[in-house]
Amino acid sequence: MASISIRSLIKRYGNYTVIPNLDLEIADHEFVVFVGPSGCGKSTLLRIIAGLEPITSGDLYIADKRVNSVPAAQRDIAMVFQDYALYPHMRVYENMSFALELRGTSKAEIDARVRRAAALLHIESYLDRKPKELSGGQRQRVAMGRAIVRNPKAFLFDEPLSNLDAKLRGQVRAEIKALSQQLKTTMVFVTHDQVEAMTMADRIVVMQSGTVQQYDTPEAVYERPANKFVAGFIGSPAMNFFPLELHGDRIVFSQDGTTAPLDVECQGLLHQAGNGVLGIRPEHFAVTGEAADGIAAIIKLVEPLGSDTLVHFDLAGVSAIARVDPSLRPKVGDRLNLRPQPGKTHLFDGTDGRVLR
Amino acid sequence: MTEAPTVDIWIRRLNLLQLIVAGVIILAPTVWMVLSSLKPSFEVTAYPPTLLFSPTLENYVQLTETTPFLDYAINSLIVTIGSTGLGLLFGIPAAFAVSWTRISWPAILTLAARMAPGTLFLLPWYVMFRQVGMIGSYSALILSHAVITLPIIIWILLPSFDAIPRSIFEAAQVDGCSVTRILWRIALPLVASGIAVAAILAFVFSWNYFLFALVLSNGDSKTLIAAAFNFIGEGSTQWGALMAAATLIALPPLILAMLVQRWLVSGLTLGAVKG
Repeated sequence: MASISIRSLIKRYGNYTVIPNLDLEIADHEFVVFVGPSGCGKSTLLRIIAGLEPITSGDLYIADKRVNSVPAAQRDIAMVFQDYALYPHMRVYENMSFALELRGTSKAEIDARVRRAAALLHIESYLDRKPKELSGGQRQRVAMGRAIVRNPKAFLFDEPLSNLDAKLRGQVRAEIKALSQQLKTTMVFVTHDQVEAMTMADRIVVMQSGTVQQYDTPEAVYERPANKFVAGFIGSPAMNFFPLELHGDRIVFSQDGTTAPLDVECQGLLHQAGNGVLGIRPEHFAVTGEAADGIAAIIKLVEPLGSDTLVHFDLAGVSAIARVDPSLRPKVGDRLNLRPQPGKTHLFDGTDGRVLR
Repeated sequence: MTEAPTVDIWIRRLNLLQLIVAGVIILAPTVWMVLSSLKPSFEVTAYPPTLLFSPTLENYVQLTETTPFLDYAINSLIVTIGSTGLGLLFGIPAAFAVSWTRISWPAILTLAARMAPGTLFLLPWYVMFRQVGMIGSYSALILSHAVITLPIIIWILLPSFDAIPRSIFEAAQVDGCSVTRILWRIALPLVASGIAVAAILAFVFSWNYFLFALVLSNGDSKTLIAAAFNFIGEGSTQWGALMAAATLIALPPLILAMLVQRWLVSGLTLGAVKG
């Protein structure tokens, strides 16, 4: 069990800087998910914690011990890889017992730990099989078993669900979450899938270009995104963005020049920023019966999802999406009166994207 | 629509023709060698060559009676096994190190050494070995033949090591393995067939290498291939005995290759290690 502390960390490959300057504190027993688009540096950061990548400058502490120059073998960290990385020539039992054997653990203790982990992951009947005799989901479990038996200071997961089909992914996701609550160990999980991040994390680190854009609980990241990037990355479908400018006490939508009234608080914020971007999540549009009460939108595409329906339409010159009740049975060409739910809109600085409200 | 099968038939015929031509080119000298070894001396060089003859073992009898053939065979075995072993001892860790560090110049250097003509090494080695009194010793032959075996082993094993997913090595690191232990416990079992191929090819190349043994051996350490050279005289060549010697020399590599041909094919076409 351990906290992880990253201070002023810089990672370069030659002249290419992957992580320009990063500070991060992960508390003991915490389940933290690094999420971000491809190339944002999340896997590099995980590999640095594991000891598989050297640090260019800065400090890394695991359980309050500086581990910059401690090799991976001595960090007492377990890692589950994207391709599982099971040893193909060893049986499942040997895969799971290998690390304990290296540490000189007694055979009886190894056997007890392997069988306990196997029972926890429901893989007791595969212990004598080779990895090639297992399905993707079974291999994934063995990879987790290999990590669990060691009782390490922290678990690191590098996109372990990305090779599984959608159904299995959901199942294993829930199992990992349950496991984290059972084991009460620090866990760091890397994914580009925001659903995984939202459902599993105690706290989410949203990354872009090697920098932390926001580090907060899933609820806070969703409800109070720190900037336009976070707002657009978290949530599916993504938040709708409408660029706008302040003209007197009204806003003018930049794309088509339509105007709308604005409250005093927003007027003040926009006055300082110059221009802005209004953000509304698809699920935060309300359908109103009265035309005068909302914005008229002509539906150009309908995506029924069963539990709800996505409707695509053009608003203020921008292609937008709203999530509506499927009982409305919207059709292409229909006119819908939509209104943003009160208190659910976001305002971002038009220049740097930081949140204004 | 109707052209496709005709094209297929012609491609198949051309493939067959290629195989036949390749087979004749490869097998004809071998067949000629074996048949000549079984012909009476006067028939070996007869022109036109005789295809129907009464087979005799007189060339083999002459070979064993006039030369210490078994001693030469043992010398060959000692030198070949020694140089193959030496090549494996250094070649396996070297190939792993090149694969691990992705620094390829040492491998290119060994390849350059292999591509250089043997005569390039001959004089320096002769001088060096003579100065330390090693001329005629097994050690000199084994060391010199390692120049043949080491590059073969490194270059056959390099793609085998490269084919192992990096994450497997990284998982072993995280599990607590040192690099040496990763080589021993993880990498070696995964490249076993590659090692078998490398060892067999190194054995064959070393067994058949002539030049170093000719210059660096003496009467006691002469290898089979160098000893067979004795049948080529200035005035006359004993073709029958020479063919018998060549046939016997060709046997061990041939038997070895046949025994492990399945491994040879799978080892040479080794792809990614599937988990």
